[in-house]
Amino acid sequence: MKLSTLTSAMFGAAFAASAAVADGFPERPINLIAPFNAGGGTDLLLRGLAPHFAEAIGSDVFVSNMAGGSGTVAASALQGQRPDGYQMAYMSVTVSTIQPQIKNVPYGVDSWTPICSVAASPTMLFVTADSPFQSMEDVVSAVKAEPGKYVYGSSGPGAITHLTMVSAFAGLGIIDDMKHLPFQGSGPAIKELTAGNIQFFGDTEILMKRGDFRPLVVFNSERVEGFPDVPTATEVGIAAPLNELYLWGGLFAPAGLEPDVTAKLEAACEGAVASDGFQEFAANSGTVINYRGAEEFDAFFRAQYESNAALIEAAGL
Amino acid sequence: MLSSLPDAIAILLSFEGLVVLVLGTVLGIILGAMPGIGSTVAVAIVLPFTLTMSQAPAILLLLAVYAGSVYGGSIAAILINTPGTPQSAATCLDGYPMAQRGEAGLALGWATVASVVGGLISAVVLIFAAPQLASVALEFGPIETFALILLGMTCIVSVSTGSVVKGLLAGMIGIFLSTVGGDPILGEMRFTFGNWQLFAGFNLLAVVIGVFALSEVFMRASVHISKVSELVAFNGIVLPSRAMWRGRLRNLSKSVVIGNLIGVLPGTGAATAAFISYAEGRRSSPNRAGFGKGEPDGIVSSEAANNAVTGGALVPTMALGIPGDAITAVMLATLTLHGITPGPKLVEDNPTLIAAIFTGFFIINLLLLPLGMLLSRVAAPILRVREAFMMTAIVILCAVGIYFVRGNPFDLLVMGGAGVVGFLLRRQGVPMAPLVIGMVLGPTLELTLRQGLILTDGNFLAFFTGHPIALVLALAACVALMLPVWRALRARSTA
Amino acid sequence: MPGRPAANLKDDLMTRIANERVVVQLGLLIVALALYASTFAQSFSSSDLAQSPMFFPRIILALWIGLAVISLVQSARADDQAQPIASWLRIGVVLVATLVYVNLIGSEGFFLPSVVFALICLSAFGIRHPLFVPVFAIAVPGTLVLLFNHALGMPLPTSRFTYLF
Repeated sequence: MKLSTLTSAMFGAAFAASAAVADGFPERPINLIAPFNAGGGTDLLLRGLAPHFAEAIGSDVFVSNMAGGSGTVAASALQGQRPDGYQMAYMSVTVSTIQPQIKNVPYGVDSWTPICSVAASPTMLFVTADSPFQSMEDVVSAVKAEPGKYVYGSSGPGAITHLTMVSAFAGLGIIDDMKHLPFQGSGPAIKELTAGNIQFFGDTEILMKRGDFRPLVVFNSERVEGFPDVPTATEVGIAAPLNELYLWGGLFAPAGLEPDVTAKLEAACEGAVASDGFQEFAANSGTVINYRGAEEFDAFFRAQYESNAALIEAAGL
Repeated sequence: MLSSLPDAIAILLSFEGLVVLVLGTVLGIILGAMPGIGSTVAVAIVLPFTLTMSQAPAILLLLAVYAGSVYGGSIAAILINTPGTPQSAATCLDGYPMAQRGEAGLALGWATVASVVGGLISAVVLIFAAPQLASVALEFGPIETFALILLGMTCIVSVSTGSVVKGLLAGMIGIFLSTVGGDPILGEMRFTFGNWQLFAGFNLLAVVIGVFALSEVFMRASVHISKVSELVAFNGIVLPSRAMWRGRLRNLSKSVVIGNLIGVLPGTGAATAAFISYAEGRRSSPNRAGFGKGEPDGIVSSEAANNAVTGGALVPTMALGIPGDAITAVMLATLTLHGITPGPKLVEDNPTLIAAIFTGFFIINLLLLPLGMLLSRVAAPILRVREAFMMTAIVILCAVGIYFVRGNPFDLLVMGGAGVVGFLLRRQGVPMAPLVIGMVLGPTLELTLRQGLILTDGNFLAFFTGHPIALVLALAACVALMLPVWRALRARSTA
Repeated sequence: MPGRPAANLKDDLMTRIANERVVVQLGLLIVALALYASTFAQSFSSSDLAQSPMFFPRIILALWIGLAVISLVQSARADDQAQPIASWLRIGVVLVATLVYVNLIGSEGFFLPSVVFALICLSAFGIRHPLFVPVFAIAVPGTLVLLFNHALGMPLPTSRFTYLF
């Protein structure tokens, strides 16, 4: 008798708990995972976002780092977790759309519940300020005149820096006449660009603030505000889908998240991104904010996954 | 920059400046001295706090914690043979035998003085010669770096205590371990056997902590414990007297120069500098016969060089906006958050900030001496706990330290496995330092070799014909390999 | 070995071959051979020999194999022995406990496995004080959990029961 009351009480409690999952969410701290080292660009962006996200959702939020394998280790680990909304990772275009198509990782396009996108910047191809190349036309004629002479760098195979180079040179049909020299990270590659061992490198606009580089082309749908003289990829003759390339990133939870929880997280993300504090942070750090809600981000993510397949093909990855 | 020195000093001597310098250094020393916990974790702990600080204090806190933890790492390396970072691994080679001999305080004294001197000189070099040194860094392309790493690899021979064959074997195992994971040029996966956890390769720190700290625990568990009471006789740091320095200054200054130069080259790092400097000491020091058996020159070589790297690594960071190592990369990212884009004009545009960072770095190194002496006095009683408690705590701390390196429980398994393998190999007389050298230098060796082959269209000979620096370094590597053989032959013929 | 009775020579040879040094080094050789063989099992896209992902590892593995053979021959001829193990029980318990411990942290959290590990490890080292052992086993991991999970906001793995430890 006593036992049965107890069990029925427990069942009742369990039932009530499952029904109230979304109502009570969040009832414990939320973990935002940076798939790269503490102190890197992604990590700091997330640490800048976390306090505002915490305020918006009304719970503790902490940032943890799970670095390795160009971000695939964190994504692979998250993919196997329970979709309870307490764990999300900030994934970039490469982690979420490129790596799963070139590596045998346990996640793919259907492994996620996209929550929101936070930032997106178009990439640029650039040379040093004292380089003889003033335009992409100069580059094409120089490469055709001396095939095999010119070298482009990247921060590693499959990185956004590599894909920028591939978009440009495959788009112009000269990639087979050039050499690719990958480095470990952007730092050494920029050093070799300054030293002259490589002639071309590509990344987002923020590197232009250094003042010693000259952009030749921007992979955006239109010219960017800061560089009105730099032509878009379409203008220099690069055809779709290689003509646009953005370094974007956003929050992803494992697939199968309850719609109510997704909605709460999405609302918190929107509030956090729009907060004065984060806007100021973004202005200081040169982050280009690009907010998309869950549904819109999902569609964008799937479209990117598709179109980046062409890029991977061109890169020979 | 020198004209903004008064403003810079005003920042440093403000309340916030002083608190950051002292607390950061103390925290760094304490964290570094804990077995298994090293610079990576120390920096991760303070990073959130730097986000809410203003520019100069944020960078200084990172620097203080970093410099403190590198110095603290040598304390654990010497007293209990458990380096918290790869760069203290070379310090174990002579520091631990000295401690076992009952001279732990003096061993730490040598390490402290060498660290402080190495750090201070590198700070001075940084203040006065950063632009000149940065142009040296630009001379080092992939091919020159390859030759330098080749020279570094010859250290394996000099740190192979006991058998050279076994040392080389350990070195090869280390290099092999570093090839697991993504191929650096093509990105294809090697030796992962379908396990995505291995896509990132074996974590260097997990292996280092496993083969040094955990295997040390197993070694102690395997032998008869006679003195259960005390781990090591230690009452605090004993500074070496002036007379003891006679005949050792040349080695010290050489080590500082090596540390500075290697620190300037992006992507080589403190562990490389410590080992190359140790090998050079073993080649040229008048006391070379005692290396590996508790010779102070061995401690000095390693510690002076690994601390001088800190200043060296700031050179390309500040002069070119290119991070010299992992910690300077964090510093640059922190600057970016504060609206400062690192680049060649960094010093020109922010003279006061940079002057504050440089002078702050000098002061941090000055603080190491009194704070190190004070903390070691406070910590001495902890080392008197019974060995069993200490061994248990070491395993638990190592687990914490390795977990926070990449936030991945898989690295704990790697650490455990490395501990067992390290234990088995050490029992057979296979030294572990060469394994660490192999793992530290292996990735750069392969990357620069293949980058060089791309640049020369596959012509290996062109590495040396068109690159005089590479040729000199490669010849030096040959000499370093041949010298022990030549010495042995000469000894035989005169006998 | 001059001066040893001739009758022991055969036993001597057996111990030389079966001793720990030889077994471990033979293991190293077999691992290297297996890894070398595995480099031919995978196919890679690059046609250029020097840029094949296996170019560098094969050189290293070949050197490993060569050195392992030399070292094995040296050990078998020199009759050198590893240091004797004082207590198989103690080292066995500490080894197994450590391996199980590092395996459990990911799934069971940091605190509970640490407490159990400390209890086992301390008793293996012969410390069985009824007060000190449990206090140490709870205080050390407990302090770390309080510090990292609750003061610093960078949590260690937590158990399946609560997110608090």
